[in-house]
Amino acid sequence: MHMTRLRGAQTVIVGIEESRVHIDSDGAIVEARQRGRSLALGLGFSAGSATLIATSISELARNILLYAGEGEIALQPLRTGGRYGLAVFASDHGPGIADLERALEDGYSTSGRLGLGLPGVRRLMDEFEVRTNGVGGTVVRAAMWNHS
Amino acid sequence: MKDSERMLAERMTSALNSYLDGSGETALHAAYELGRDALGSGLGLLSHATMLDRALLMAVRDRPEGAADVIERAEPFLIEAFSPFEMAQRAVRDTNAVLRRLDRAREEEVKRLAHELHDEAGQMLAVVHLDLDRVANELPPGFRDRLEPVRARLRDVELQLRRISHEMRPTALDDLGLLPALRFLGEGVARRASITVRVEDELDRRLSPEVETVLYRAVQEALTNVARHAEATRVTVRLEHEDGLVVLSVTDDGVGFDPGRAGDGAGLGITGMRERLASIGGTLEIRSTPGKGTMLRAPIPLVEHAAHSAGR
Repeated sequence: MHMTRLRGAQTVIVGIEESRVHIDSDGAIVEARQRGRSLALGLGFSAGSATLIATSISELARNILLYAGEGEIALQPLRTGGRYGLAVFASDHGPGIADLERALEDGYSTSGRLGLGLPGVRRLMDEFEVRTNGVGGTVVRAAMWNHS
Repeated sequence: MKDSERMLAERMTSALNSYLDGSGETALHAAYELGRDALGSGLGLLSHATMLDRALLMAVRDRPEGAADVIERAEPFLIEAFSPFEMAQRAVRDTNAVLRRLDRAREEEVKRLAHELHDEAGQMLAVVHLDLDRVANELPPGFRDRLEPVRARLRDVELQLRRISHEMRPTALDDLGLLPALRFLGEGVARRASITVRVEDELDRRLSPEVETVLYRAVQEALTNVARHAEATRVTVRLEHEDGLVVLSVTDDGVGFDPGRAGDGAGLGITGMRERLASIGGTLEIRSTPGKGTMLRAPIPLVEHAAHSAGR
């Protein structure tokens, strides 16, 4: 695992290839959460926001295991002007989502009914985007900006 | 405690201990999954909080380090266990916002329909009256009377149309305000259900249109319930000020019921009333005892109104 070095104002931002976690087990989810959390804290996110990012990673990784069996979580630090953010990419080569609009509604899945799952992640993060074609593969991009 | 809850509690205690032992993200992940399972199994937030608190208490007792130390170190774990509830709460907030928008749109639609029913159907019927007059003039005198029952029926239709449109959305509510609209509503219910309806208003001002609509709908629902189920002879609708609140109450002297046992029987009407009241910051209390009537009380903060009317 490559380390993210963040020292005060001198921020070293890791390249996307350095923060990929292959998701195929609960242990891998833990690894992805851990990296997401420490990246977030390093970027100056509050502990609460870092938790919400870890939560989003959990939900996205869960979906990968559930629907595709395996996939990948990639983490990408963002910077615009003086603001920092963190983007979480969840990608898999599973069956894709046939009806994306419905999948983003709360009542669609069991998780959704509780406000979790994809609709939940959409609410927790500032930016949310899904690319899928219903034939194969899904990529979700969810990003949060440090508001503090 | 149910078996499923006992199992959750045990998992919580062991995950918290493993977190305090330094297992880091693995335990945080477990905390998250626990919160998720609690939410999924329908465990309430308070039960969840109680369970976590007990797990923490046990950890404090069992561990050699000081209590403050344990509590401080446990914080990330606790936050993690609540995170699924945060997600669910945001979903509820969003859903409420959507419901509120839908309800407003529905109210607008009802207003439009009521208006069309009143004005346009009314005009068409007026034309039918003129047509009848013309036909009457062309008929020999002895036959003109034959049209009289038709005219009478036509007048009934007009009355009904006006009544329906007023009940859907009384023009009084838009033009004159809540009180005249409530009086009109009360008169209608009194006539149909043969009960005495009193409307008492202690307010000295008009409320925002949104609040007036919500209160009107609440009274409408309450009076419908009284007329249908209460077997009451008198019902009093009252609007008053109370410690910075506007309080609506509807009190009847009917048969009452056991609010604790109403359950699903309370039905959509009460739920809808509660939701609408909540959308303007209000709440709904129902006090009833079998045989001793029912009192429905809805306090609404006045501050909210100022905010709402300022937004208009």
